[in-house]
Amino acid sequence: MSEAVPPWAVVILPIALVSVAVVTVGFDAVLSAAAVRGRPGSLRELGFRAAAPLREVLRLLVQPSRRTTAADTALGRIGVVLVPVAAVLAGAVLPLGFRSLSDPTVGIVWFNAMEALAWAAVWLTGWGPNSALSLIGGYRFLAQGLAYELPHMFAITTAALGAESLQVGEVVAAQDGLWFAVWMPVAFFVYLLSAMAMSFWGPFGHPLGRDAAGGAAMELSGVDRLVFLGGRWLLMVVTAGVSVPLFLGGGHGPLLPAWAWTLVKTALVLAALVAGRRLLPTLRMERYTEFAWLVLVPATLLQALVVAVVVLNR
Amino acid sequence: MDLRSRLRRRAVQSPVVLVAVLPGATELRLDVEAELRRRGWDIAGAPAVADLLVVCGSPDPDVGRRLDTLRRAMPQPALRVDVSRPGRAAQALDEGLALLSERAASPSESASGHEDAGAGEHQAHSGSGSAPAEPGHGAPHGHEHQHPGHEAAGHTEQDAHGGHGGHDHHAMSTVAGLPMADRADDRDGLRLDRLLLPLGPVLADWPAGLILRCALQGDIVQEVRVDRLPGPPDGTSFWNEPWLRASRGEPVALGVGARRRCAAHLDSLGRLLSLAGWGDPAARLRRLRDEVLDGAPAGQCGERLRAVAGRVERSRTLRWGLAGLGRLPAERARRWGVTGPALEADGDVHDRLLVWLREARRAVRDFDDVRPLPAGELIGPRGTVGGSRPPSQALLDVLPELLAGAEFGCARLIVASLDPDVDESVAVSAGDGAHV
Amino acid sequence: MLTAWASILLLLGVVVAGLVVVYGVSMWLAPARSVGEVEPFSGGFAPEQHAFSRFHVRWYPITMIFLAFDMEMLFMYPWVKVVSEVGVAAVVEMFLFLAILFAGVLYAGREGAFRWT
Repeated sequence: MSEAVPPWAVVILPIALVSVAVVTVGFDAVLSAAAVRGRPGSLRELGFRAAAPLREVLRLLVQPSRRTTAADTALGRIGVVLVPVAAVLAGAVLPLGFRSLSDPTVGIVWFNAMEALAWAAVWLTGWGPNSALSLIGGYRFLAQGLAYELPHMFAITTAALGAESLQVGEVVAAQDGLWFAVWMPVAFFVYLLSAMAMSFWGPFGHPLGRDAAGGAAMELSGVDRLVFLGGRWLLMVVTAGVSVPLFLGGGHGPLLPAWAWTLVKTALVLAALVAGRRLLPTLRMERYTEFAWLVLVPATLLQALVVAVVVLNR
Repeated sequence: MDLRSRLRRRAVQSPVVLVAVLPGATELRLDVEAELRRRGWDIAGAPAVADLLVVCGSPDPDVGRRLDTLRRAMPQPALRVDVSRPGRAAQALDEGLALLSERAASPSESASGHEDAGAGEHQAHSGSGSAPAEPGHGAPHGHEHQHPGHEAAGHTEQDAHGGHGGHDHHAMSTVAGLPMADRADDRDGLRLDRLLLPLGPVLADWPAGLILRCALQGDIVQEVRVDRLPGPPDGTSFWNEPWLRASRGEPVALGVGARRRCAAHLDSLGRLLSLAGWGDPAARLRRLRDEVLDGAPAGQCGERLRAVAGRVERSRTLRWGLAGLGRLPAERARRWGVTGPALEADGDVHDRLLVWLREARRAVRDFDDVRPLPAGELIGPRGTVGGSRPPSQALLDVLPELLAGAEFGCARLIVASLDPDVDESVAVSAGDGAHV
Repeated sequence: MLTAWASILLLLGVVVAGLVVVYGVSMWLAPARSVGEVEPFSGGFAPEQHAFSRFHVRWYPITMIFLAFDMEMLFMYPWVKVVSEVGVAAVVEMFLFLAILFAGVLYAGREGAFRWT
């Protein structure tokens, strides 16, 4: 189903992901500023607030890095750069319309493998600076991984099961008529939760929590901080974006061209997550883990069973 | 000016600020927070993030030196500005920004001078620090000792000294001037590394001047000793001011007290919600706090408070996250001498949050009451004012018991749910306060 | 036209190049990095010990349960491709297997392994 892409797409993809991430962060900044400072007085003010992330990029580029006492700089830096690398590599299977940079037959497993690199990345980043609070943040993410990963894997397997394929292009093709989100609502909902959890963002931001003074990222400054936090937004964009081919019919839709449908759906998912984040406090894993294993795991298993029965009778 | 200098100067135009609040400087903190909000500058959680260190209050020389060390832990060119009088926040931030721009454009001459001084002092400090380290035992800054934790050598050395034999009081080895963590029993009967960590006083959403000397096993708080920075000698607390004045026989309107009580609770709620990871209502309540203190009409304040408070009270996720933490039944609270909201709540962190919200909403109704505060009934935001013990003393006293065994994140929430005010003349049991 | 994996490899190259550029720009823009080491932060006081230590976590048991399920995923991924081919047997066997694993989860849950505060 998926069509060939020109070789220069390999350069376009990272640029596109970064652009979407910048817009998303801008939207988030506008909403945050509205809570902190009230409604913007003018359109100019609104634009200024939306540009805050770009100013922060420049600030961090100019800021020098520093090292803490007896830090493990090598491991720490590997953790930092691993976040954007994992995010963009996971994005390789992300189709724009029906064309993706790469559509391997095990695309879903590839996506799963790449996002799981975040486990290593966040822990290494927390370990690196030899700082107690950052170490606490790093370990928090491991606990988070243990809670979100399993329901997440069942959710994406359910989508693969619906198409009886691990190829993202075929999963999209299988949703020509009915979107998977419609008849796999539990898997879709769990997927959205885990998209936030694996990008340690929003209600799942405890590894970088304010209570630990910034957690795993607390000793990062300058370009390291930029790469780590920017990488987190990339991860968030990619994981939210993958929900479109897996559950929301990818490029399928009336009137508009396929690529436009992908963009519209991705934008809606991101907007819903960024706005919805404001409704929830942080979910701490010592509470959430129980919910994940005793509610989400059986729920996704039942969802998979229902889909398996449907597949058998197709 | 070349492109690079222009970009450097441009980059610091919205600096991120680390705010260090000294005891007795609550009013200055509120000034600074309001001014930062007006400018849209962010408040940092840690020095690594910050460009500017803003000190609220006048530090004594010891604390001042410590703050300079903290400033040097920030990325260069880091600057420190002190705000020591009310109404000076804007001016101090302007000065800081101007100096920061200047340094940013020509970093070479000023920064290097600073760094040399910094490195020297820092090294001197780690030798004479409070840790029972033997200076010179390990190579202080040697490159071969950069990775003490994950190198097998580090552990082997420790194990050889005292590990498996059962007596763990081995001669402490130091790396880069610091010892490794020792071992001790944990609450589940295991024998595990025990990390001593001084927590505070320069933390976001943390009571000014409070220091908790923690022993951590992993992220579990095993033991806590309460400590503090030296405070204002007269023990005046901004939040208790109307009641203290009334106790001296000055005529204070009921409405003035109500506004102060409401703002105090909103301030505490802002901290607690921010730590609970719910920045949106926290920010709204803080903005409302400043409006209440600025004398905004009661109707407007009440309406805004109702909107946010309703969201917070209805949140089942918040209840799920906070319920059961830091349980303090009224009976036990009374035994410790706790008065005020923490006693009334008769329960956990979430119950205390609800009492604050309720009291804040009730206080709004009295904003315009011009009758004088009754001199006999001096109940401030944190409890009975004017007795032999300030109300925050009891809140500090219960902390070690409530925090022992809590997860690090839970411990922060418990502290925030009591929000002791160290401006009150509270004493810490460990004698002479913080050794800097 | 590149094969699926070649383009991913190429993408890795592009990302690494992008990171090199970002770090390069920062090296050009940022003032000289400080050579000294600063103390890790925990509120303004110097740490008394190194943070590198054996970190105690209360969720060790969950890692074991997780591993069991993680291994199970190795079977489940290929399984999705053959469900209708193999038929009812595939579904019955897989979900029987999952049910057995989940019984272990229920037991661990009853023992309180998933809640540690």
